[in-house]
Amino acid sequence: MPLHPAAQQMIRKVEALSGRPVHVAEDPELKVMASITTARGSAPAHFLRYRPGTQAVDYLLVYQLGFVVRLFSCPAADRWEVGSNAAEQEAGIRMLGLEDHPRDFAAAMVGQLVVQLRSYSVGARVDDWIWNHLPELREQQEQAIRTQLDEGGRALSPEIRQRFPKALVDANSIINAAYAVHWGGLLEDSRFQIPFKALGYEARALELLRALDLVPDAPEADRELISTWAECLGLTGTFHFQPHLLT
Amino acid sequence: MTNTPHEVQLALDEFDRSQLPEAQRSLSGDAFREAVREHFTEEFAGHGGGAEVVVTADRIIIRWTDSTDARTLTERGVDFLMAGNYEKGIGMLRVALQRNPADPNALFNLAMALSDQGKMDEAVGLLERLLAEHPSHAHGWVALGVAQARMNRDAEAVESLTMAVSLNPNDGHVRKNLGAILSRSGSINEAIVHLQAAARLLPSDPQCWFNLAATLEEAGKPEAADEAYMKVLALDRNGRMGEMAEQGRSRIAEKAFRSLGGGFRPDAISYCQGALERFKDMPRAEIQRITFEIAMLGSRGLDVNDPAEQYSLRSIPGKFSGLHLLCIEYVGFQIIDPKVDIGFDLSAEYQTACAMFGEGE
Repeated sequence: MPLHPAAQQMIRKVEALSGRPVHVAEDPELKVMASITTARGSAPAHFLRYRPGTQAVDYLLVYQLGFVVRLFSCPAADRWEVGSNAAEQEAGIRMLGLEDHPRDFAAAMVGQLVVQLRSYSVGARVDDWIWNHLPELREQQEQAIRTQLDEGGRALSPEIRQRFPKALVDANSIINAAYAVHWGGLLEDSRFQIPFKALGYEARALELLRALDLVPDAPEADRELISTWAECLGLTGTFHFQPHLLT
Repeated sequence: MTNTPHEVQLALDEFDRSQLPEAQRSLSGDAFREAVREHFTEEFAGHGGGAEVVVTADRIIIRWTDSTDARTLTERGVDFLMAGNYEKGIGMLRVALQRNPADPNALFNLAMALSDQGKMDEAVGLLERLLAEHPSHAHGWVALGVAQARMNRDAEAVESLTMAVSLNPNDGHVRKNLGAILSRSGSINEAIVHLQAAARLLPSDPQCWFNLAATLEEAGKPEAADEAYMKVLALDRNGRMGEMAEQGRSRIAEKAFRSLGGGFRPDAISYCQGALERFKDMPRAEIQRITFEIAMLGSRGLDVNDPAEQYSLRSIPGKFSGLHLLCIEYVGFQIIDPKVDIGFDLSAEYQTACAMFGEGE
């Protein structure tokens, strides 16, 4: 399937910045709509996968590539990625009230929340850039974001919330609330944020959004942005930054 | 935008009671559920049809559908302005502009609202921003021109409105405004071109015809001016415009009258003498009845420059010319109330007639 010229241009940008090619492939086994494995070490390429039949695929690929662009826009010494060691995972399990759950499940929950922390904070930067610089993808972007907003709203249902500890549910809901407020503004549709407000998440969501204003919008500041969000959410100590290296 | 239906379900016991008005926070049972339902209904109001809200014993179910009816911030701001709520309307339009500083509708409507509130400098600034981004926004040029005119910046107003005319030559209102400003700036001939176009485009607008008439009168074109004043009278005989048109017609008639008689009219002296004779020893109420009948007839226009005896009265037998009746009216008012200005100066003729009438006595 031919990609939109904006997506092709973004691929060329990543290749130029990182010096590694981008390999794009359909993957019917993929659990999410699109995913990228950023080249590190001696990996020959960045692997960009998407599920066949995915709508708004150009936007989703550009969104994934946006993280790589931000990473490789930094000088080599300032390229960081988020990781969690065993001790940090244990800390996360305690902080999020997951002690009574099976260890593997609990660790996976902590890991998912850390991924969410990074992808929604830096993701807001990427999304804003696409919104402002790639109007040709706006329709796809809006469609994908509305889908995401819908999923965030569905996660508020009592059946889902009852299955997890309150601390974990709250952290996840605050991030989703911030996303709803942020996009409520850009899409001029604040309906998605009303349910979050009704459950008392608005103030904490606004704290996260304030960090987006206070922390500089430069890729070098992404580490600070993630740390600030982690502090707001009580997740400090559940992850660390490690250098991203290419050999 | 898709027509995707959305549904969110929340546990009722997780609802943050601080969202409710203080008096409702401690409610329970059905009253609490109803308060929650009303809360969500209000929150969703104004978002393109609202939402369906159901509150059961333990949960809140909200359903809504995206639709093309969803109102943008700008549209909602304009809705508030149209409802007369300037504070909310202006606030919402400012937010819309923060989101999209180049939004032409937000720029235009915010500028109009601020202009209505007399905040002219900010309004003009917004319109200049609008036109820098959207130079073909004809309404923007009109609004800018009107605002500049209100600030007495006539030269700039003429430039802005000329731009608007070039973008939409068939907008009668713009041509009317431009003509009026050109007229007051002294560019009479240019004003007439636009005022004639305005009258052609807005043939039922008495103000339009009046502006044209007054400018034609100023340009020394009394016949064309009189014709335009008559259009005003046909459209608004009893209104303020009609009254001013009458005055205009009287001025024109008087000028024509003076020019015909070399400045001093013996025929008018003679008519005044006749009126003095007629009113001598007449009861005041009778003088008033005759005078008022002529004044009433005059409100529909007396042609003082046509010598034909074309008018008749109920109070006096016979046929009269327009000038004859005007002289009777003038003399009548000099007797019953000399302060009344009938809009036609016959004082010289009247004084002479009085002197002659006194000598005759």
